[in-house]
Amino acid sequence: MADGDIFEQLKQSIIDQDEDEVLAAVDKALGDGVDAKAIIDKGLLPGLNVIGEQFESEDIFLPELMQAALAFQAAMVVLEPKIKESGGADAKKGKIVLGTVKGDLHSIGKNILKLLYETSGFEVWDLGIDVDLFQFVDKAKEVDADIIAISALLTTTLIGQRDVIEALKDQGNRERFKVIVGGGATTKEWADTIGADGWAASAYEAVTLSAKLVS
Amino acid sequence: MHMRHIELLTAKQVERVHEASLEVLENVGILAHFSAAREVFARHGCTVDGSSGLVTFPPEVVERYMAMAPPSFTFRGRDPRFDRTIPDDGPVVVTGSSAPNVVDPLTGVERRATSGDIANIAHLVNDLPGFDVFSISTLAADAPEGQFSLSRFYPALKNCLKPVRSNTPNMADLHQVVALGELIAGSADAYRERPIINHHYCPMVSPLTMDVDSTEAVMWLTERGLPVYTTVVPNAGLTAPMTMMGCLVVGNAEFLAITVFQQMVREHTPVIYASLPTVADMRTGAYAPGAIETGILIGAQAQLARFYGVPSGGYIGLTNAHSNDAQSGFETGMNTVFGVSAGATLLNMGGLFSSLMAFDFAKAVVDNEIALMDKRVWRGLEFSEENLALEEIASAGPGGSYMGRKHTRARMKTTAVLPELAARDMRAQWEEAGRPDIHARALAEARRILAEPNDAVWDAALDATIRDHFAGLVAGDATPLEA
Repeated sequence: MADGDIFEQLKQSIIDQDEDEVLAAVDKALGDGVDAKAIIDKGLLPGLNVIGEQFESEDIFLPELMQAALAFQAAMVVLEPKIKESGGADAKKGKIVLGTVKGDLHSIGKNILKLLYETSGFEVWDLGIDVDLFQFVDKAKEVDADIIAISALLTTTLIGQRDVIEALKDQGNRERFKVIVGGGATTKEWADTIGADGWAASAYEAVTLSAKLVS
Repeated sequence: MHMRHIELLTAKQVERVHEASLEVLENVGILAHFSAAREVFARHGCTVDGSSGLVTFPPEVVERYMAMAPPSFTFRGRDPRFDRTIPDDGPVVVTGSSAPNVVDPLTGVERRATSGDIANIAHLVNDLPGFDVFSISTLAADAPEGQFSLSRFYPALKNCLKPVRSNTPNMADLHQVVALGELIAGSADAYRERPIINHHYCPMVSPLTMDVDSTEAVMWLTERGLPVYTTVVPNAGLTAPMTMMGCLVVGNAEFLAITVFQQMVREHTPVIYASLPTVADMRTGAYAPGAIETGILIGAQAQLARFYGVPSGGYIGLTNAHSNDAQSGFETGMNTVFGVSAGATLLNMGGLFSSLMAFDFAKAVVDNEIALMDKRVWRGLEFSEENLALEEIASAGPGGSYMGRKHTRARMKTTAVLPELAARDMRAQWEEAGRPDIHARALAEARRILAEPNDAVWDAALDATIRDHFAGLVAGDATPLEA
């Protein structure tokens, strides 16, 4: 089979949002001796680009976007070790420290964002839910993060987002990290008030925003 | 009986939902993050996995404690005339709560809400007859350090005689708020006798999880017999299956778990089957509490609540709209009228735009009018021999007019809702008045009310006692909107 065909098949398997089809196409490509990096760059990522466009135009819905992202992630489980084996480093777009504020146990929106970050080439440290402000700060310093992304669903504990920014200021670390906020309790105006570097209405927009912030 | 309820399920289907919920609690379980809550469950017959916090419920344990839940719940206000008990007092209309923002009544621009806004909203709600309970509508961005909740409860209680309801984010705040209640009551004993603060929390984080902070607050209040109820918030497509029935089952299992918990902590604790069920907008995952599916689910839940013998309702009539437009009206109106028709008697419906993000004074006045109509729906036809008015029909006779008759005059103010805002004039009159839309008419009414003195404010001596006790407290005074 010509290389072009196998890349087209990889791309189409992502567009079809079918994990089995993606894994079969990846397996076949590897069997044909196609380089893991090329499988991602020339096959899977072009597929994800199409998915992104389809989502933006509402041709597909969020569950479909997630199915495609999960299929991509399953492929990466196979492909990442091969890239490491061949000594090639998978260049990441940026490092994200992610979590839900103290007092808030809502995780679903944050987990969607994590998935979209990872499929968009970011490296993510997910601190989970009910995250103390210093956990955000300490982890960001430890991994030398580019962005701290803080989710909040409850209006009553929303203030935890501001506390992280204030703590960074107190430590003289505010300039070192970009801080973005989101979640059901937040607005653009709130993000501006607390001096965040950005706000996004949805997980999808948060990824676009983050790509801009690290570029 | 006021009216027959709309029923979405057959009696058999209701029983199946109950059984299905028991299956979920027995086989899937609840994740309890608060260790003291796990101990309560373990002591009362549940199986608790110490390492994961997973609690599973034998069906007979659920049945035993559910049977203890009383049939009614009472909200108490500073003035007992405003006490309301559901379901007997019919639909109890409550403001939407804890929005971070307010639409500034002067500029029309959304901004962070303050304690002054809360004072004004309290005054407004105290005056608007459609509202029964003031759930503190916003946060207070001007709260001094360490007084996050006091800065909400103090202006609310000071300016409103009706029952005040809200939450606190942590135990320190809860203790302050109860201390405030005791000062108002005159003593701790007097407060225990008539607790006028009505606490509300969402300890169940859907799906099937109990948090730490709210669970601790619910447990503390329940132990002391202070009024507290909870809301479950299943979201189909995100935290519950993408079917109405699946969403109903997850929400029902969550309600059973928290109710059983409260009965284990203190037997016969009054509860409300309150929820905010939604179906997520799957195009983007957007939260859609204004969607009609919320009304349908709360309607079904009212039927389940009758099966359990407890009052029900919840956040119904919220809107995703950002202004007083047709969407705002139809989302609040359609959902609440359906909920009431199905037997829901708690309606957390008033005053908020943008899901739960911003309070608007005019929206609250519009919702007051919708609330009065909802209550009219509840009254129904008022069937009686007397109301058949056969003597009156005979007396007026064929071709007669009922307009000038005593029978008519005696009932002209009570048979129908007399709306203050809904237009009933002719188009020419409306044009002459400058074509005021519903928002303009409602905002004018809010201004009129807030320009009047507020008789609800407590006396200076009590205020001085409270201000002495809590140094640095916000002013908490209502002011005319165009000061």
